[in-house]
Amino acid sequence: MKGNSLAIGLVVLAVVFFVVAALYYEGVLQILVTDTTAAHHPTHAVLFSVLAIASLIAANFARSKGKA
Amino acid sequence: MTLAQALFMGLLQGATELFPVSSLGHAVLIPSLLHWSFKQSDPSFVPFLVLLHLGTASALLFIYRNEWVQIIRGFFTAALRGRIETPPERLAMLLMVGTIPGATLGVYFEHQLKSLFASPKAAAGFLIVNGFLMLGAEVLRRRAERRAALAAKTREEQEQSFAVAEQISFRAAALVGACQALSLFPGISRSGITIGGGLLAGLRHQEAARLSFLLATPIIAGAGVIEVPLLVSAGIPVAEYLAAALLAACAAYLSARFLLRYFRSGRLDPYGWYCAAAGVGSLALLTLRP
Repeated sequence: MKGNSLAIGLVVLAVVFFVVAALYYEGVLQILVTDTTAAHHPTHAVLFSVLAIASLIAANFARSKGKA
Repeated sequence: MTLAQALFMGLLQGATELFPVSSLGHAVLIPSLLHWSFKQSDPSFVPFLVLLHLGTASALLFIYRNEWVQIIRGFFTAALRGRIETPPERLAMLLMVGTIPGATLGVYFEHQLKSLFASPKAAAGFLIVNGFLMLGAEVLRRRAERRAALAAKTREEQEQSFAVAEQISFRAAALVGACQALSLFPGISRSGITIGGGLLAGLRHQEAARLSFLLATPIIAGAGVIEVPLLVSAGIPVAEYLAAALLAACAAYLSARFLLRYFRSGRLDPYGWYCAAAGVGSLALLTLRP
């Protein structure tokens, strides 16, 4: 049960990371960027995409633990 | 930068990257001490260093080619299954956890750190800090050996009492990854700080070096993907710099082979004392002969 709640939390976190990645890519988010005039921030977008994937992997691990 | 200077930098970077003495610190300090005219604050300098790092990363990929095949396979298998069943799967997940802190801090503090690259004095200062961090890690390791009553045993037997990379906890992998993030400062050695972190996590010296070398590959490759397009767009003689990267790869290959053998029984102390002395010497030279 605890594992399932953690898995849901991690999926939500992954969605947040994906949204942040999209916002950085579109240039909407300008937090802690080198060039605030740039239209896109692909490096930040890639970082948050990777963090989102890592969260999904962690969620899969937590889900499996919840089943066991 | 002339061809000879580029080749020298390649050799220097390849030789010092895997030794725990900070390649970046040396790459910033030595041209300054030799009064070479190229500017380290030039936008092409950091991408050039990254190209040399890619040479080093390819040497590491070559050394650990079979292991990387298992790690990549293990990563996808464990990620999809949601469970770790084999040592390569565990190592793959430990590497993922260890890579995230360095990558995150690298992306966010890239700009501030680039401005630090322009300061050889800062690099010399961090080199001293690097030396004392490694000496501190060895002090803690000796304390752990005394606690485990290993003092009477040979160095090889002492080392066998500690863990291999696959056995450490995810918290310990995150700690080593956080240590790796510190190496974004010029003068702090990536391999030195991660080997030190590995020792704190209870790894054998050789295993700490192996984990450090495996952790290097994704973060260096990631930095390369970001910086190399800038190098090409900066209108730089790419062929000459690729020759420097090749030289870096050869030097790194030989360094890795030597270090993996050295750390069977060797410690970080000589490198710690070297960094402290080199940092103090460089700082004195830079101050007296600006």
